[in-house]
Amino acid sequence: MTTLTPAKVLRRSRNMTFVWQILGLLLIVGVWWLCTDVFKVKPQYVFPSPKDVWEEFYYGFWGSGPQDGKLLLSVGNSLRRVALGYVIAVGLGGIMGLLMSLWRPLRETFGAYLQGLQSVPSIAFVPFAILFLGLNERAVFFVVILEGFIPVALAVSGAVLNVPPAWRTAGRTLGATHFGLVTRVLLPAAVPNIVTGLRTAWSFSWRALIGAELLTSNLGLGRLLEIGRNTSNMALVMATIIIVGVIGALFDLLIRTLESRIRRDYGLEAGS
Amino acid sequence: MTHRTRKSLAVLILTSLSWSPAPLVLSQTLLSQSALAQSVTPPTASTVRIGFFPNLTHAPALVAYEKGYYDTQIKGVKVETKEFTSGTTLNEAFAAGALDIGFIGPGPVINGAAKGMPVQIIAGSANAGAVLVARKDSGVRTLADLAGKNVAIPALANTQDVLLRNMLSGAGLKSQSDNGDVTIVSVAPADVGSAFLNKQIDAALVPEPWGAVLEAQGHKVIADEKSIWRGGNYPAAVVIVNTKFAQANPEIVKGFLKAHLQAVALLNKSPAAAQVAVSSALLKLANQKIDPRALQRAMQRTKFTADVDTEALKEYGQLNINAGYSRKLPDFDKLVNLTMLYSLMETQSKLPKPGASRTLMGIK
Repeated sequence: MTTLTPAKVLRRSRNMTFVWQILGLLLIVGVWWLCTDVFKVKPQYVFPSPKDVWEEFYYGFWGSGPQDGKLLLSVGNSLRRVALGYVIAVGLGGIMGLLMSLWRPLRETFGAYLQGLQSVPSIAFVPFAILFLGLNERAVFFVVILEGFIPVALAVSGAVLNVPPAWRTAGRTLGATHFGLVTRVLLPAAVPNIVTGLRTAWSFSWRALIGAELLTSNLGLGRLLEIGRNTSNMALVMATIIIVGVIGALFDLLIRTLESRIRRDYGLEAGS
Repeated sequence: MTHRTRKSLAVLILTSLSWSPAPLVLSQTLLSQSALAQSVTPPTASTVRIGFFPNLTHAPALVAYEKGYYDTQIKGVKVETKEFTSGTTLNEAFAAGALDIGFIGPGPVINGAAKGMPVQIIAGSANAGAVLVARKDSGVRTLADLAGKNVAIPALANTQDVLLRNMLSGAGLKSQSDNGDVTIVSVAPADVGSAFLNKQIDAALVPEPWGAVLEAQGHKVIADEKSIWRGGNYPAAVVIVNTKFAQANPEIVKGFLKAHLQAVALLNKSPAAAQVAVSSALLKLANQKIDPRALQRAMQRTKFTADVDTEALKEYGQLNINAGYSRKLPDFDKLVNLTMLYSLMETQSKLPKPGASRTLMGIK
């Protein structure tokens, strides 16, 4: 009998999780197939079968016709938009969050408004963005940046404020300047909470992007949803939704892994 | 709860479940669906729901609505009219079974039919009736000037969108989604005027009367109704019916077609009277007061006909594929069914010809 070290137990349980996840996926596809191809609960133009959706994936990614490859193009465009928007949002939000944490009047006024704005769904900003910036990609960026900016600013300001006062005192005592205190004490101490904010900001930006892309002309996943809707192509709509979900989940997993590694490094989480 | 009560409760629930109508209903719906597939006629309807939108290409519906033709020709049945603002929303209502008859551009119909929607084209409504208008200060005077500009269409993948893409490729241009530099955005035709004011778009391919309204505001028509496609000989709007509804309710469809022919006849024989009806319907449905002269001009650019050019539809289907909105053509022989329309027109033409002031084909 082999001995079970904690590492082996962990690996085994991870393998089991994976198996369960695959089984769950098979079950979902199976039920879906039964509902569509076998029992035909709804007609194809309302509820397409797994095969129809697979066909959209096939043509969308690997098709060679003149109008094929739209999914691939859309994924590329959407990722480009969200990447740029997210980076700007993180930059602006980081600066604003830091200023808010350092300067109370800003925190009490602007910070409170941001808290309120956070509850407004991103799609609500779209009409405003169109009127202000026009019917173009800039309006999309505006919504994506705004949605990412708010959680980052709030997370950074909250995280810096939560640094124990004793650490500031210690930093000052050891001769840190005002600037040094921020860069070498407050910000490093705030990193775990900031990363959590970055994760929230990512999912906000991604969702905002899909909503705002409904108004773009250049292909994107949101635009593809609209094309699917307008051409009675529910299979395309489902394929797009699946991709939006998978990309969202993958990036979330990536940032979550980073987050948990940082939290372990900071001694906030038990590690293996 | 004791063990015994729990047990008896479970038995009670199980027995009630087995007697509940849920499995019965389920098997019935499954049965009825397979029955429908074998075209067993469902019960006749007590209501007919007709959908259209406040555009001039839907003028026969506007006239019939305003003049009460549907109520007089469709007897013994309640007529419900519903207004929509785009083919997408109308098509969705149709797919959901919330509409029996609808006026719509061929684009959504062909896409829906290719996906197996139970839809049939039973008549035409209007040909042409769309123009390409450029904002007065946009500097756009020809199609080629559209390079790098924003052009609006009423809705993504609708008839005007497909025709615009066809025109662009004819001029050697491409839309942004095909890696070109023409930006195609969807703007509701009634909002194009304000979008022009804000300089958000440079041109728009709009159905009438919005083209004439924009022209009256000083904007320039750069492609008229004849130069959009096929010299204007293409269906801009057609009448569709839910196939199952039509099979079960031939009398209702017949009554509808009579009213439809009556409205088309009025539009062609007494444009002035028809214009009053259209204007009043537009005011009621779209809350838009259209200048009579603009409306008159718009009506001259639209050809009202109950007939459908199937060849044009087939060609349109190909353009739709070229635009990337579909991968296959529907079965046009099944999609277009003008038998009832033609037989009605024939019986009417045998009647003594009425005077010019009377309606066409003898229908009152």
